Amino acid sequence: MVKAAASPLLQGTLDLLILRALSTGERHGLGVARRISQMTRGAFEVKPGSLFPALHRMEERGWLTSFWGESENRRKAKFYALTRPGRRQLREEEAEWGRIVVAIGAALGETP
Amino acid sequence: MKERDRELDDELAAWVRLRADELIAEGHDPEAARRRAAIELGGAEQVKESVRDVRRGSLVEQTLRDVRYALRGMARAPGFTAAAILALSLGIGASVAIFSVVRAVLLRPLPYREPGRLAVILHRRFNPTAPANFLDWRRTSRAFADMGAVESWTPNLSGAGDSESVPALRVTAGLLPMVGTPPHLGRLFLPGEDQPGRDRVAILGDGLWRRRFGADPGVVGRTIALNGEKYEIVGVMPRGFDFPVFWARGRELWVPLAFGERVSSRTGFSLRVFGRLASGATMAGARAEIASITGELEKRFPGTNRDVTVTPLTEAVVGDVRPALLVLTGAVGLLLLIGCANVAHMLLARAAARTREVALRNALGATRSRLIRQLLTESVVLSAASGAVGVTLAAAAVRGLTALAPAFLPRVESVSLDPAVLAFGVALALVTGAAFGLVPALQTSRGDVAAALREGERGSSAGSRVCRLRSILVSSEFALAIVLLVGAGLLARSFLGLHRIDPGFDPEGALTATVSVAGTADADPGRRGAFYERLLDSSRAVPGVTAAGMINHLPLAGDIWGFPYDVEGRPPAPPGDASFATYRVVMPGYFAAMRIPLRAGRDFTPADRLGAPGAAIVNESFARREWPGQSAVGKRVTFDEEDGRPLWRTVVGVAPDVVRGSWTAKPEPEAYMPYLQERSYLERPGSPFQYMTLVVRGSGDPASLAAPLRRAVAALDPSATVSDVQSLRRVVGEATADTRFYLVLFGIFAASAAALAGIGIFGVVSYAVSRRTREFGIRMALGAGRGELVAMVLAESMRVALAGSAAGIAGALALTGLMRGLLYGVEARDPVTIVGVALLLAAIALVASWLPARRASRIDPRTALQAE
Repeated sequence: MVKAAASPLLQGTLDLLILRALSTGERHGLGVARRISQMTRGAFEVKPGSLFPALHRMEERGWLTSFWGESENRRKAKFYALTRPGRRQLREEEAEWGRIVVAIGAALGETP
Repeated sequence: MKERDRELDDELAAWVRLRADELIAEGHDPEAARRRAAIELGGAEQVKESVRDVRRGSLVEQTLRDVRYALRGMARAPGFTAAAILALSLGIGASVAIFSVVRAVLLRPLPYREPGRLAVILHRRFNPTAPANFLDWRRTSRAFADMGAVESWTPNLSGAGDSESVPALRVTAGLLPMVGTPPHLGRLFLPGEDQPGRDRVAILGDGLWRRRFGADPGVVGRTIALNGEKYEIVGVMPRGFDFPVFWARGRELWVPLAFGERVSSRTGFSLRVFGRLASGATMAGARAEIASITGELEKRFPGTNRDVTVTPLTEAVVGDVRPALLVLTGAVGLLLLIGCANVAHMLLARAAARTREVALRNALGATRSRLIRQLLTESVVLSAASGAVGVTLAAAAVRGLTALAPAFLPRVESVSLDPAVLAFGVALALVTGAAFGLVPALQTSRGDVAAALREGERGSSAGSRVCRLRSILVSSEFALAIVLLVGAGLLARSFLGLHRIDPGFDPEGALTATVSVAGTADADPGRRGAFYERLLDSSRAVPGVTAAGMINHLPLAGDIWGFPYDVEGRPPAPPGDASFATYRVVMPGYFAAMRIPLRAGRDFTPADRLGAPGAAIVNESFARREWPGQSAVGKRVTFDEEDGRPLWRTVVGVAPDVVRGSWTAKPEPEAYMPYLQERSYLERPGSPFQYMTLVVRGSGDPASLAAPLRRAVAALDPSATVSDVQSLRRVVGEATADTRFYLVLFGIFAASAAALAGIGIFGVVSYAVSRRTREFGIRMALGAGRGELVAMVLAESMRVALAGSAAGIAGALALTGLMRGLLYGVEARDPVTIVGVALLLAAIALVASWLPARRASRIDPRTALQAE
């Protein structure tokens, strides 16, 4: 567990990471946080204080849907899954992020 | 919200348990693991709060999104949107407009101090009484803290500009203080100012003050000349002050009423009496007291104190129009219901067409409440738009109503779209939207997802349920429309009936004008007759004038004075039981100018003047009552005495009955006297005897005669006044203005209702046809002819229309009785009107379903069967 993480996340970045974390299947809140941490090799540790508001906001927008299920160790938990608009949103945000990365990379590459 | 909070609690608790499991797996002991997990959550309350913030923010966002979505949807279906907004805004606009009128006329208290305690004390509600009676009532009554009397007066105001005749009231000194409206400037009359000698003071109305005195704040203390006498201005009343409203409206000048020698008169009926209840007294108590006081007086002075009634002032002002306004309110209520039903079934139709869309959104995870909220937003947006359009319509309608404002509608000048009425309109729009958005929203969102996706909009069981609901809605539209149309039909028949009334004269092509010499040198007893004779001559000399005459009180527009009379050869009637006839005074040529053909005898001539034998012309009612079956010409009657002896007049002619004070009043005996022989008119002081109404008939537009007539008057005496210049046609129009007013309004409501019902049935039939394309295809493939299909569709729409019509006729039979007071010459349950209206609506239904029916018959069976 890398504790050094927790560099402040842009909201859009967090949305993208959550969408991405759910793109491989449904997960509960802690599962989403674990998956993000895993995907970013521990660089981002998402705290419940920002995770839950984000999940609920995205659900309200119709990107996520939720249901109660059982965790792998048979605990009751609320699971989240991508909806079709959520998948579309993920594709759009990935494309957008790709453009940003290229642009920032280009900008950094050109600095003297 | 509570439920979602509990769910959030569960979710966070689950997080803590899962995290604790992790920590235990990492080797922490269970107790420490739970504590640490809880700490990592960072305070459950804080997390919950920020989740709630997200939700609240998104609620606003979502609503905005729903509104945008609704607007986009409305823009995509402009036909539907326009029809729905039109239907609803007509209902809302009409309701708000009529409610504005009802509020201003009926609901708002009269603008006086404690208006509920003011009463009118008169003979048979509205007929005036005499000074001695009034003084006795005031002296003896305990139930009334105060009483005041009012007399109509129209003096000529001169000095500072042209002289003009001003509508004024003479009032006892205590009357205005009793009414309780403080003056804008100066003071009201002081006690004792209604005594002769102290009565040369005047109070101006706001209109006169602005028009004639430029709203000069220093006007108090100045003097004006009324009928040539000087009066000191002591006060100015505030803008909008009008009293007593039910009679003598729009007066602009008040002066004290000094009885002088009339103080003992019990038969000169010219006063309207008002009273304010004493504290603790009730209307009922006052009524009983006045009944006993006048009962005593009637015993002592027979014929002077009969049928004296006490009417609350408010009742006197609005009593006559209340039933009509309530009927109109009911009518707009029906129109609004029709509008709502129309929008409801349109929303249902659209909802049905959108079953697939909704089912899809449902499958994509939208919750039912979410969907209902979205559909409700759509209907509220729709009704808010209708409300906006409706209120705009209402504003225009109120302007139209006040412009059309028939003189019979009291307080109509105070009608406006006030905030309360606006709030009423907005509330109406929102309630309508919510109520009629909810049913379709529930209907749609309940849809069986799988079935809907499989079957789409066609043939599902929900579809046929919707279809039935829509048929019921359209049937009720028909029922409501029938009630309105029957109302309008009855009014139209009344109006036609009124138009068939023969007034007894020819209203076309004649101009009338009232000419007063009050206050001029020509008012002198020696000169008055000569002035009017010369005026008649110069009127006849105006180019284009073919006939001219004069009368003291023009039918419909003028007063009605009753005078007792005796017939030669019969004993005089005891006091109080004399026969009365209406007293008319005319110049030679009046009957020709009015085109009233005399039935017998001759018109007056200039030779029928003082000194010549007395002459009179009576109407047919008079002749029939006194000399049935005989010729009236040559008989003698007397109306007054001279030197203690009856003044006999010989009947020289018989005129037909002519309409009287109102268009529908029954004919009564009337007698015409020659002006040049009427001593009171030639000599008496007092403005009632100093004006005559000129009637001139021309070959062209009567309005073109106005200017030359005014010039003719000015040439004779520049200080004589000319007022009430109007065509005879207009005088007649005013007399039927109330029925016309109600007819116009009802007609508009009923036409809207019929149009909405037509749109409704068109929509239902179109929808049914589109749902049954496949069925029609099969029928045609099986050999059904096109005509058969058209007949089938039409039969179905007729079923809807007939069911509605039956209910509507029942409703009309139950409700039109309320209109009885507005009708003339037609029964409230007039079968002709009811059957006619039912046929009219059936025709509308037939036409409205013809188009979709033809579409059904043009279906190509192959396409129809492949459609699925």
